[in-house]
Amino acid sequence: MSAELTWTRGDDARLIGRRVPRIDGPDKVSGRAVYPHDKRFESMVWAEFVPCPMPSANVELDLDAAMAVTGVVHAERVCGDKTLYLGEPMAVVAAETPEAAREGAAALLATMTLTPLDFCVTSQAALREGAPSVGRSGNVTRERTRDQGDAVAAFAAAQTSGGATIDVRYTVQVQHHACLETHGMVVDYNGGQNATIHGSIQGTFALLDGPNELLGLPAANVEGNVQHMGGGFGSKFGIGIEGRVACELAAKLKRPVHLFMDRETEFHASGNRSGNEVTVRAAAGKDGRLTSLISDSNKLGGLSGGSYAWLPYIYSAENYTTTQRSVHTNTDGNRAFRAPGHPQASFAMEGALDELAYQLGLDPVAMRLTNLPAEENPDFAVWHKHLKRVADEIGWYEHPHRTAPGSAKYTFEREEAIGIGFGLSVWGGGGGPGNQVEVSVDRTGTVLASVGTQDIGTGARTLVAMIVAEELHRDLDDVQARIGSTQYGMGNVSGGSVTSACLAPAVKDAAAKMRVELLAKAAAAMNVDAGELAFYAGGSVATTDGTVSLSWKELCALLGATGLTTHGTWQRDLQASGVHGAQAVKVAVDLLTGRVRVIKMICMQDAGLILNALTAQSQIQGALVQSLSYALFEERLIDADLGARLNPNFESYKIANSIVIPEMQVIFDEDDDRGVIGLGEPPAIPGAAAIANAVHNACGVRVRDLPLTPDKVLMGLEALR
Amino acid sequence: MQRDPDSPRPGSLTRRTFLRGGALIGLGATAAARSISETTDAAVSAQDPSAPKGRIRKGRFRISLRINGTPRTLTVEPRTSLLNALRVHLEPPLTGTKLVCDGGNCGACTVLIDGAPTAACMQLAIDAEGHEIRTVESIGSPGALSALQQSFCDHDGMMCGFCTSGFVMSLTAALEKNPRADEGELRRACAGNLCRCGTYPQVFKAALAVSQSAKAGRDGGAK
Repeated sequence: MSAELTWTRGDDARLIGRRVPRIDGPDKVSGRAVYPHDKRFESMVWAEFVPCPMPSANVELDLDAAMAVTGVVHAERVCGDKTLYLGEPMAVVAAETPEAAREGAAALLATMTLTPLDFCVTSQAALREGAPSVGRSGNVTRERTRDQGDAVAAFAAAQTSGGATIDVRYTVQVQHHACLETHGMVVDYNGGQNATIHGSIQGTFALLDGPNELLGLPAANVEGNVQHMGGGFGSKFGIGIEGRVACELAAKLKRPVHLFMDRETEFHASGNRSGNEVTVRAAAGKDGRLTSLISDSNKLGGLSGGSYAWLPYIYSAENYTTTQRSVHTNTDGNRAFRAPGHPQASFAMEGALDELAYQLGLDPVAMRLTNLPAEENPDFAVWHKHLKRVADEIGWYEHPHRTAPGSAKYTFEREEAIGIGFGLSVWGGGGGPGNQVEVSVDRTGTVLASVGTQDIGTGARTLVAMIVAEELHRDLDDVQARIGSTQYGMGNVSGGSVTSACLAPAVKDAAAKMRVELLAKAAAAMNVDAGELAFYAGGSVATTDGTVSLSWKELCALLGATGLTTHGTWQRDLQASGVHGAQAVKVAVDLLTGRVRVIKMICMQDAGLILNALTAQSQIQGALVQSLSYALFEERLIDADLGARLNPNFESYKIANSIVIPEMQVIFDEDDDRGVIGLGEPPAIPGAAAIANAVHNACGVRVRDLPLTPDKVLMGLEALR
Repeated sequence: MQRDPDSPRPGSLTRRTFLRGGALIGLGATAAARSISETTDAAVSAQDPSAPKGRIRKGRFRISLRINGTPRTLTVEPRTSLLNALRVHLEPPLTGTKLVCDGGNCGACTVLIDGAPTAACMQLAIDAEGHEIRTVESIGSPGALSALQQSFCDHDGMMCGFCTSGFVMSLTAALEKNPRADEGELRRACAGNLCRCGTYPQVFKAALAVSQSAKAGRDGGAK
């Protein structure tokens, strides 16, 4: 049967592909949605981490200081003899109230003896001769090179043959995930045989294996629960130190434990998007074809390796040699963050292409198309379509300066310079096996669709209900979607834009089986061949000529006391992978203040089968907002000499707010008639590059260092005077 | 605790009013009159005229807050924020108001105090006595949403949803002040609310749909 499964789409679909409001919307807008942070249990203790204010230190703790605080019930060390990164949790304090826990944490911090150790918090420090070693394998690891042809010779040849060459350095900052709900869990355990863990996490089933051992319970006695969670973006796959410590505390105290990072700890101990510094030497012939690209990149992922997509990214270069290595510092390790490594690489590659284009007096759109030769690789054709479309939509072809940037000159008549920039994206975004979906219908007509997967804000809960309702011709309200618990069938983690492509085919499979089984029941009762029957509005069943019919109620009344249950698994043919996209951005640069205002962002990308046009659009717009925020505002700041955190809060770590949101346009590629693909990550890739390119197009200032703050623009304007 | 009716509302917390709030507790004249202090420390300081001015005392106080139109009594410490009072100390707690930054930077804990949007994490619970506190739970319930909440659902003004109640409160206040607010006003009204998923465009659309239908209603009535 599986082979015959096809999606109901287009005009045939009542729900799929439509703009369907999410079913948990009313709970969210009314404050009724209960997040892990909101869980309250009798005799629950409130726990708080004490983060290390130094990049590395020997730590001597006086736990009595915390225990002396009224209300504190427990304090313990959670780090080794020495801390390895700035912000590492050193201790945890548990108390009867959050106020007492905080006071206990403060007391602990005030009385502990920290002996600072040598550290590196910048790549310069880490690469210096005689630098203290951050990890056992030294400060530089995983150096790798990919190459094709002879890039060095081709670069030298271009310098003498009149092509364009650049020799530049692009750097990007470390970006925090800044999830609004911090990392944490509530472990509901009272010393008995059972426990429930409510985790703010991107994979319900990560709460199952491991945590049970920390609690000393068999896996079957522990339920992981994620009904709602306040954002993850790649940083909440595992249970983390917060999950481990929460379980250990609950096991020790035999009381429910509420352990969430406070905002300050969250900023420096819950992962980040790695920074990067890359030197790029590139050459292009007069026709714009890339003849050489030589790049050398340091991935700045703190204790972890960092991530960086390989240059020349999506573009075709005749010769290239591209090297990347991890440079380690005493800072929090990077984690996956919405298209890991791609925005960083996109920023350098799209910038380099633009630089070469303007040097040659070429239109940067044409330059990109030249380096995506569709005649050499048919897969490139889709980018031609997307790029031309967004260029058209943003008004590129009417734009006054397309082959050279606009003037940097401020006059009283001309305070702002308008510019347009572009960037392209690629992502995998297909699904895989894992989800086990159960659909059941009982005699009263109640439809349940259950799977343990989580809804991290993408609308997964709504998808589950929609697909079943579509299949059985029921209203959305008639299907109860039950998700976010390890008591239901296995659910895949939400990461890599795989959620929908993993989940939807499995739901469809279970729903289709239910449809078949219900039709069989109806056929037997109606004494007709099941092949002659079909579902109609409201879930009624009738013969195709309409002579015999059963209402949904009558149909369900045929079921036995146990009703009907079907199970679905992932179906390869219902999904696909490979997502391409293009973005165009229009900005205004204030020539007096250097401030960049984004006017409009347009994103076109592959869409496959859009399940819910409303939530799909939200997700893409959200990615554009995050790109804008990354491009203009966000930056983790650490004092290089003191090793001190400078902005572990939303006051000085800026993220985009309502005032800076531009006009947005999302275009789904309607020619893409594949099954379900992933949408969430690709639109987060090229925005920063496109904004920087637009700033250059506006006024000739090339900022090669994110975030693109006014001071950098002003320095550039000054240099052009 | 009774307050001078001319004193600034909690929403206009300044360093000076914050210190004065502290002094009030230190002197404790009104606190002793209205509150049941549960520790000797607080009880003594509350009645001791020689207690140093401006010093915040420890202890637990029984206070009464008007929350969503209903008087609610709860026990808090002088340091307890209004946010923690709602989320933790109230029985049963009201958890729709979220704790995100705990520093007045993000708007997730926005409540209305005497109609004005206020960061509950920046208010002391004891300072909120005598004021009308409204939380997201009072704006509507899943079966009976306000027009704004319904519009949030229709336009998908949320993703993970952790910022949503804060946005709902800020925009509810803005629309109460000016039911026909334009997009610029609405954007300014939620300029202090941060959303990490990037739902802003849909939030503006949701709020604007409400103000435009109010406008249409008014204009239609005038014809």
